[in-house]
Amino acid sequence: MNTAAWLIMLLPLFSAAAIGLGVFRSRKASAAISVGAVVGSFLLTLLLVAAGDDLHPSVTWLAIGGLQIDIGLQINGLSKLMLCVVTGVGSLIHIFSLGYMKEDRDISRYFAFLSLFVFSMLGIVLADNFVMMFIFWELVGVSSYLLIGFWFEKPSAADAAKKAFLTNRVGDFGFLIGILVVWAALGSVEFGDLAKAVSGETAMITGLAGFLIFCGAMGKSAQVPLHVWLPDAMEGPTPVSALIHAATMVAAGVYMLCRVFFLIDGTWAMEAVAWIGGLTSLLAALMAVQQDDIKRILAYSTLSQLGYMVMAVGLGSPDAAMFHLTTHASFKALLFLGAGSVIVALHHEQDIWKMGGLRERMPKTYWTFLIGTMALCGVPLFSGFFSKEAILDVALENNLLLFLVAVFVALLTTFYMTRLFIVAFMGKPRSSHAEQAKESPAVMTVPLLVLAVPSVIAGYFNAHAPNPLVLAASLGVLVFGMLLANSAYSGAKADPLPARFGRLAKALRDRFWFDEIYQWLIDHVQENLAKLADAFDRWVIAGLLVRGAHGTTELAGRVLRLAQTGNLQTYAFWFAAGMAVLLVFTLS
Amino acid sequence: MEPTLSQYLLVSGALFAIGLLGVIVRRNLLIIYMSLELMLNAANVALVAMSRFNGNLDGQVMVFFIITVAAAEVAVGLALIVALYRKRQTAEVADLATMKL
Amino acid sequence: MDWLLIIVLLPLLAAAAVGVVPGSQRRAIRSITIGASGLALLCALIAFCSFEVGGGLQFETKVVWVESLGLHLHLAADGINIGIILMGAIVAFAAACCADDITHRVKEFHILLNLMIGGILGAFASMDLFFFYFFHELALVPTFIMIGVWGRGARRNYATYKITLYLSLGALLALIGLIGVYVQTGAESFSIPDLIAKVQESPIDEAAQQWIFPLLMFGFGILVSLWPFHTWAPLGYGAAPTATAMLHAGVLKKFGLYGLIRVAIPMAPVGAQSWLGVLAWLALANLLYCGLVAVRQKDLNQLIGNSSVAHMGFIFLGIASLNVIGLTGAVLVMIAHGLLAALAFGLSGHLYRQTGSLDMSRMGGLLRQMPLAGSALLMALFAGCGLPGFANFAGEITIFFAAWSAGLKTVTVIAAWSALVIGGLYMMRAIRCILHGPLGGDWAKAGDVSPLIATALGLLLGALLVFGFVPGLLTKGIEGEAAKIVRLAKPAER
Repeated sequence: MNTAAWLIMLLPLFSAAAIGLGVFRSRKASAAISVGAVVGSFLLTLLLVAAGDDLHPSVTWLAIGGLQIDIGLQINGLSKLMLCVVTGVGSLIHIFSLGYMKEDRDISRYFAFLSLFVFSMLGIVLADNFVMMFIFWELVGVSSYLLIGFWFEKPSAADAAKKAFLTNRVGDFGFLIGILVVWAALGSVEFGDLAKAVSGETAMITGLAGFLIFCGAMGKSAQVPLHVWLPDAMEGPTPVSALIHAATMVAAGVYMLCRVFFLIDGTWAMEAVAWIGGLTSLLAALMAVQQDDIKRILAYSTLSQLGYMVMAVGLGSPDAAMFHLTTHASFKALLFLGAGSVIVALHHEQDIWKMGGLRERMPKTYWTFLIGTMALCGVPLFSGFFSKEAILDVALENNLLLFLVAVFVALLTTFYMTRLFIVAFMGKPRSSHAEQAKESPAVMTVPLLVLAVPSVIAGYFNAHAPNPLVLAASLGVLVFGMLLANSAYSGAKADPLPARFGRLAKALRDRFWFDEIYQWLIDHVQENLAKLADAFDRWVIAGLLVRGAHGTTELAGRVLRLAQTGNLQTYAFWFAAGMAVLLVFTLS
Repeated sequence: MEPTLSQYLLVSGALFAIGLLGVIVRRNLLIIYMSLELMLNAANVALVAMSRFNGNLDGQVMVFFIITVAAAEVAVGLALIVALYRKRQTAEVADLATMKL
Repeated sequence: MDWLLIIVLLPLLAAAAVGVVPGSQRRAIRSITIGASGLALLCALIAFCSFEVGGGLQFETKVVWVESLGLHLHLAADGINIGIILMGAIVAFAAACCADDITHRVKEFHILLNLMIGGILGAFASMDLFFFYFFHELALVPTFIMIGVWGRGARRNYATYKITLYLSLGALLALIGLIGVYVQTGAESFSIPDLIAKVQESPIDEAAQQWIFPLLMFGFGILVSLWPFHTWAPLGYGAAPTATAMLHAGVLKKFGLYGLIRVAIPMAPVGAQSWLGVLAWLALANLLYCGLVAVRQKDLNQLIGNSSVAHMGFIFLGIASLNVIGLTGAVLVMIAHGLLAALAFGLSGHLYRQTGSLDMSRMGGLLRQMPLAGSALLMALFAGCGLPGFANFAGEITIFFAAWSAGLKTVTVIAAWSALVIGGLYMMRAIRCILHGPLGGDWAKAGDVSPLIATALGLLLGALLVFGFVPGLLTKGIEGEAAKIVRLAKPAER
């Protein structure tokens, strides 16, 4: 069983290495290796789940003095659930990619990166200590960077990749300091040891550490204020957006919070986490209302749902967060793949106002997208309904204000998803591409159909009787949101909101100017500091000090050179005169 | 009348001074060279005189040394001057300033 | 077997062999250099593999040179220098492979190159203070000549002057310090183990330690580009020929750090206690300040040079922590950075040969144009910003732990910021400018690396990955020796 556990993680690494070493050779073989590896991991995961034991194999990576860092795999209920999500959704997305990336000349590179990503993600899921988690955290960041910038010749993709990496690095900085704080305070980085060492007395320091570590989650799970990279990350290929930026990597932050929940449990960090989550879900949902790019709408929706999950952790219910994470992974992957299917059919057109009327032309995509939308909006009996219910329950119990925020976010979610759905799929085609759209091939539609199944039923595994107040609120906003969107967008040729709300709509469309503010900060603080250091280097150290020393030496040389006429006879004269003086001194 | 030691040394000093003056002020290499020889011989005179008055032959041995070395030196030095003259058609030190900054 | 003697003699013999080959036989000359350094690498690999962890000094060679002064040619390896020698041999081989961009006076260049390689390997293998310094100078002087004669760029002469002055000054200060050590211990021997045994019995007078340590610290520090004595490094590396930059930035520069760990701290522990705080802040200046300077660079070599100076900050920080974790991490980063710097300069040398410019604003899209070199550069830049999987990460994170536990918390926080964020910023900027985006103007005709260079760079990259995945290969040996040094430096905590 231990071998199986190691293989789950290592198969994708072998695949990445194999493709990497033989890169640019056979494209088909590369794709087959990569798909085989992730499917293999999925089957092994099922084997582990069936076996049912908790495992904990580990090897030492680095041991110096009092510092011991292991690479260990912790396999328990939580990680098994996450393993299923990652390898399951991952397998489907790999298969979908076979169709989506068929035409691309760099398909080998694509699959190598994808395998590398799966390896790193599994590392996070299985990590049994903070340093290992940090290692794979960074690796996930890099593979995400490589995949966002997959079409690196496109400047926007290259810029988006850079932005994603750097924003994540800011979060990782907090994470690293958090790890150091924990290690210094509790003497270990291993989750098991830490869970034992945590007590009431350590609440202050673990709260601090927990918050710092949460900074890492803020980066990866794109929480405000580090959320800016996720919408730009949609520059990557769509299956990547589905896998990394909807289902798995962005969920890593939430997963980590659940994993180390013992650290923040009962400390002040909880409050901060809950509010950051709530704020993210609200802002992101608002921004989603006025986006026109199909992938960006889904990206903001992802942000908003991640905010939900983080809020649930902050309110003390990691179970609800993990529940929503699981259901969200399946229906959001479904939505992204559906969007990918649409984008391919429309020759890489992503503006929803150039779509329309896809219902008749792409029936399979239409129906599966509808299921995904209903699950996301929380239509009763779909998976999203149950998990959202669980979070609202927790919010109602703990914090009324956040409950109201969450309900409002649910309203917005219904509104923007209905808007997307109506504009893209209903009505009449608004461009020639949309008129000529054809259903995608089976290699793409089958994963859609397969993903549709958990999107419907995943909720039943953890369903419980809902609180009547919550039920009423969520049903109310659902119906209200749908009616509102329907009345605004049914048959619309252009978005009516900017005309009606003007400045507010513009603020939403411009995403509350987060990017502009950051750009200003970077330009004025970072760049000026760098300029200052550079100028100091050039003028003070190289100029004043070095040139100064050099100048004094040279000046002394110039003065002394006056005596050096180069005329031998003058030297002879001075020599004789000197001798004479010496003689006078010694003899008298 | 036998000359005294101080008279010998006076001659030697005078010869040395003339030689030094020649080295410093003359501009022709050949003359500078001859002045240099004059200085060497001034030293020889002093050595021989000292040797004679101290009754010690070491000084005279030294003089033979100097004469031998001076002969070798003259051979090399004159050869250099001749070679230089052939190359540059001059023996004036003022014209030989190509190594000066 | 006297592996170390063979490793040191091979390049010196190769220098002599190149001397008798006619200068027109360029191919033969190159083959001799590559062959000798390849053999040296093989021997270093055998020595590394047969090295016994915890077995004290191994592969010893001891030849009496001047008995009355206590001078011996004493070569030996322990846990610390065995890894450095292996790294040096790998870099030397790679540099020899990358030296084919020299087209005039090939013979002279290769003589100097071989001398430099022999000097470098000898310096790290020597257990005798005199030869330790002698071999370093043997490697340093050819560096100056190589930059002056075969260097590139308009500011080559200025760079040569500057690097010569700085490094000679550093070496001089260190020499005074070393003489101070010799005189003050009164050991009548230059052997480092003897000196350490001597100071264990009767430590050097504390007042003397207070001037010996700073002399060694700043002397060695200048050799390693300690802030604010760092400006020679980017300039010098920008002007140096590829092989020279690889060897100097990769290996020779580490001599100062090695000297700090090997000589300065054990000999003057009291001086170290009072000066290491200063060193920690200077290390921070290296990291933060040179990182910021690197962000502003437009020339690839300047960027690599500045980032290499910044990376020295990690090592200084590890040393300043003065605990087992920190010293081990410092040696680990020394080895990792040596491989990385050689890789980066090897690649920039290749790029320079394509168009004669390293102006990043005129590059772009090279990942498509030269997949091998591009991928290698991508990985090198990732390794430079501390990506796990490469040896640099293992060392850097170790140093963070060490500095934190040594109580240097503010320093650690700022260091982590400059490592993760500023380091990421300039590396990402470089990738964006050079590798990503549409193909830059002059680069359409540029070719990929030759198989020989690809092998050399692959070797460096492979070593980085192996030590990154299994840092235990190095740390097990280093840890024991580091513990000895810490015990010497802090007898109270024994």
